[in-house]
Amino acid sequence: MRWNSIRTKILAVLIACLIAGLAGILALMHYSFERNSQVLAGESVTGAQKLFAILEAREISKMMAASDILLADGQLRDALVARDRGRLAQLTAPLYVQLKREGITNWMFHTAPDMTVFLRVHNPPKFGDHLNRFLDQQVQKTQTPVTGNELAKAGFALRILRPVDAADGTVTGYVELGEELGQFIHTMKNQTGSDYALLLSKKYLDRQFWADSSAVWHRRDNWDDNPSFVIADKTASSDDILRFNGDLGAIAPQGTVLERFQRGNSVFVRGIFPIYDAAGHTVGAMFVVRDISGFYLAMRHTQNILVLVTIAALVVGMVLVLVLLNRLVFRRLQQIIRVATRLVGGDYESQIPVTSNDEVGELEQLFEQFRQVFVDLLRLSEKQLRA
Amino acid sequence: MSQLYDMRMQIEAKIKSSGLDAMDVKGKIGLRSGKLLAFITPTTPDDPATVAKLKAAAKEILNLSL
Repeated sequence: MRWNSIRTKILAVLIACLIAGLAGILALMHYSFERNSQVLAGESVTGAQKLFAILEAREISKMMAASDILLADGQLRDALVARDRGRLAQLTAPLYVQLKREGITNWMFHTAPDMTVFLRVHNPPKFGDHLNRFLDQQVQKTQTPVTGNELAKAGFALRILRPVDAADGTVTGYVELGEELGQFIHTMKNQTGSDYALLLSKKYLDRQFWADSSAVWHRRDNWDDNPSFVIADKTASSDDILRFNGDLGAIAPQGTVLERFQRGNSVFVRGIFPIYDAAGHTVGAMFVVRDISGFYLAMRHTQNILVLVTIAALVVGMVLVLVLLNRLVFRRLQQIIRVATRLVGGDYESQIPVTSNDEVGELEQLFEQFRQVFVDLLRLSEKQLRA
Repeated sequence: MSQLYDMRMQIEAKIKSSGLDAMDVKGKIGLRSGKLLAFITPTTPDDPATVAKLKAAAKEILNLSL
């Protein structure tokens, strides 16, 4: 191969185009994948946020409906009006078993107007205290049903609180139902397949209560795992995919995508969105981890096909260009060189065929005319030499 | 007889013995040396520059040392 030939130069340019084309396609695919995985991650976060809101609304409706039924029971109301804790506990115990099965784990009665805890149906021995939480204040102020999330010293729950009227229409107390928010993530996992974790800000938790509740629920005390939050519940078996070093309070209301990462053959994206309590404080966050391996593999497959198709198209294109150049230019130039060489060697008969009226054809025609003049001169010179 | 003509004879003998395309080889030598072999006669004067060019062309194209 001659390195200074036009053929080699064109081949080099075509190979450079091939490499540049492939690099461009790979860069495009990479960009496209990055963009799509960002979109998927974003959708996972917003989807989880919407699902969480739907579950909240559904569970509030359920607890409101349950409280409607409970308050329609005159015996319960009479026991509260009579401040008969024993009677109230006796009446509510079997009902609590049913409610607990439906996820309602907290059930309390408060007395009015002081908002003292009269009976914890889920923990009867403990009573007589004042919780003075935001929802307690709200229901006292409005005397209408209130709902919302509230972070207690040892956990996070969705609660409803509503007044209980006595026969004369005065408010005799309040009934409260609550569900642990941690259980939502398992429902969300079942519906979407993604993994979730509920993070709670340590700022609103009590260290000792967290240790005690961990012991009660037979879970590992994970208080020291993270500096500013604890993982209240999670669907993933491993904690290492739930890393978060930021400040829960700084998470944007619409949530944020954190990163894409790989574990073995699986590719995940993760994001986080804030969870607010009834007072509007960012008391926790929901961590979303979505497995995008299927999408990743499909993208890889498409990329491989695209690369192969591009290589094949470019190779075919290169061959076609070279064949065309060979036929239209190089072969005809070689014929001119061959005839010119033979002419100098004494072959006055070989002619240059003019095969086309293109640029090379013009050269062929010009050279043939020149050859005829040159042959005449050579013959004349030979004649003079012989003379 | 000039040296150039003697060289021409040697070149033509080499071409004949090796069975090459005579016109093609003579053409290449002529183009390389700048001298048409057909115009070299026994009386052609031995210009040293032309002798050197013809020697180089014969060596390069026919591998013939003159």
